[in-house]
Amino acid sequence: MTQTRRAAIIGGNRIPFARQNGAYARASDQDMLTATLEGLVARYGLAGERMGEVVAGAVLKHSRDFNLTRETVLGSSLSPATPAYDVQQACGTGLEAAILVANKIALGQVESGIAGGVDTASDAPIAVSEGLRETLLKLNRAKTPQERAKAALGLRPGHLLPAIPQNVEPRTGLSMGEHMAQTAERWGITREAMDELAVASHQNLARAYDEGFFDDLMTSYMGLSKDANLRPDSSLEKLAKLKPVFGDREHGTMTAGNSTPLTDGASLVLLGSDEWAAEHSLPVLAHLVDAETAAVDYVHGDEGLLMAPAYALPRVLERNNMRLQDFDFLEIHEAFAATVLSTLKAWEDEEFCRERLGLDQPIGAIDRSRLNVNGSSLAAGHPFAATGGRIVASLAKMLHAKGKGSRGLISICAAGGQGVMAILEAA
Amino acid sequence: MTSAPVPMEVETLRSAPSLPTVFARAAATARGRSGDSLPHRLLELPGVTVERGRLVDYQRLCGFAVGDVLPHTYPHVLGFPLQAALMAKGDFPLPLVGLVHLENAITVQRQLTADDTLDISVSATRLRPHPKGRLVDLVTEADVAGERVWEGRSTYLHRGRGDASAEPGIPAPPMPQGQASAVWRLPEGLGRSYGSVSGDVNPIHLHALTARTMGFRRAIAHGMWTYARTLAALGGQGSGPSASHVWFRKPVFLPGSVELLVDRSQPRVVAGLRAHRKAEIEHLVLTLEAR
Repeated sequence: MTQTRRAAIIGGNRIPFARQNGAYARASDQDMLTATLEGLVARYGLAGERMGEVVAGAVLKHSRDFNLTRETVLGSSLSPATPAYDVQQACGTGLEAAILVANKIALGQVESGIAGGVDTASDAPIAVSEGLRETLLKLNRAKTPQERAKAALGLRPGHLLPAIPQNVEPRTGLSMGEHMAQTAERWGITREAMDELAVASHQNLARAYDEGFFDDLMTSYMGLSKDANLRPDSSLEKLAKLKPVFGDREHGTMTAGNSTPLTDGASLVLLGSDEWAAEHSLPVLAHLVDAETAAVDYVHGDEGLLMAPAYALPRVLERNNMRLQDFDFLEIHEAFAATVLSTLKAWEDEEFCRERLGLDQPIGAIDRSRLNVNGSSLAAGHPFAATGGRIVASLAKMLHAKGKGSRGLISICAAGGQGVMAILEAA
Repeated sequence: MTSAPVPMEVETLRSAPSLPTVFARAAATARGRSGDSLPHRLLELPGVTVERGRLVDYQRLCGFAVGDVLPHTYPHVLGFPLQAALMAKGDFPLPLVGLVHLENAITVQRQLTADDTLDISVSATRLRPHPKGRLVDLVTEADVAGERVWEGRSTYLHRGRGDASAEPGIPAPPMPQGQASAVWRLPEGLGRSYGSVSGDVNPIHLHALTARTMGFRRAIAHGMWTYARTLAALGGQGSGPSASHVWFRKPVFLPGSVELLVDRSQPRVVAGLRAHRKAEIEHLVLTLEAR
């Protein structure tokens, strides 16, 4: 058995996130991922380099993009001898991709890799309706003119309407927002608490830009040099005016202001062994210490769609002999403000921690000043598969600045009742 | 660069000339053009900005990565209205419609992006004999803040009485041989698509019917498209400091299929396009090297 080692996080790159049908309206997943990869290659001098692998994915993906990441590598200045594959785990895609590459590095199977993801809500795949698809397949199978005529007669005018992708859970028919509204109600999350978290996200992201935090984490694209969703002047008063969009349309708590908008963008993280980084004179910002992916039964069980990270935490804490309060930074992806708040409340809840997580004591409250300190998805936006790479690169940089040994936790909820978690430690 | 014997008259334009108007004027005044001298005129258009929507259309159609970096050939598209306008003027000795694009050379001094504002100028030089008629070069130069960043030289042939003793130009390298590295199927409407992104609405490219009036049996692909598409297939190298030279041979009839051949054995990459399954029909040969 090979001795394992911790994978190093060397850096990252992303393009600013654009709102749906905004600056990247006509850019494809491959275009955005290529621009992001080329920016990373330029920043770290990787032109012509044969990397161990490149792993990325997209949630909204055309069927022609089955080899999206490999096609992106071929269109980049990396060596064409760099292998690549796609992964897809809804909003967990980017972080899961980083974990996969880190694990191969840990096992000594590769020395270097690039991981991340991309998504476009603008250049979305539109499919033909199920009726038209079935008719066309029948026509294709038909061998005689009679069979062909019979198949063609099955076509109905309604079949000609295209099928547009929807942000809906296939098993429940509920949108993610509707699911979240149920969970928020169960945990009694108030509108004010959600709006406060949203304002903090915008203010933190705006401050991070002012401090130049993203200068070596981002390359501009299509005329955009900052996340288009960022509202530095966001305030509780402004957010209070918005109408609920999920759950109870009158008395509901979730608005467009405390939910992430549909967004376009891409992000990538550069990983390697310490030796590879040293050979290439590249800095090691942090190491990936451990990771845990959990899933919950939101269909038949009594759990919220986006609550899986709550279950991942105790497992990863126990394995690493840590408490939640030990982390210097907590990056909890803001799918909705209510997601973060419900998760935090669950960890403070004695009954939940005992009954659901099997713990003697509640996990407890956190120091909120350590949460999403440079903003998160409510302000930056959330191109599904691109969020993991955004957080990994940012957290690694923050930890490096904080000092050797400091630790950070990443928590990302995903469709299908899943949640991906990772621990990083400053090098 | 050859310098003109007498000082150039500089004509500064305030906006890009409308190509359909220029083509119509050129067609109406095609007859009776003659003479052995070129106008000593530099047409310049300062402050040219890149329209991102048009750039995306161009990148998509030619196979370049969609983004902020200008493809090797893109300043040619920006300068083409000036080329056409210069050739449509009454004192230009050759008729624009009917000229055959024979060669093109481009030098990129530095990578350009959609945020660069270009000052573009065009002049005509080197009217000279050729075995099949006469050649002329249209030189396009692009500056950013007074610095030369890009230049292109388009060589056009006017078919006519040739001069067998004409001095040959830079010879093309041999066509790469062997197996095709790609096969592209070019749709019937390619000329219209490229016409709409480039503005080059020369009737020989648009439709079989309009091409027939010009003596072609079907519409033919724009040379600048086949050139750009081939460069795009060679990767991102051409968008940085680089130089290319293309020699156009037989036209590509639309619709049609072509094969790409690439020889990377030397630092100067050689690529060629030939007809699919008809290796003897060569469409172009080009070279690309980093600078």
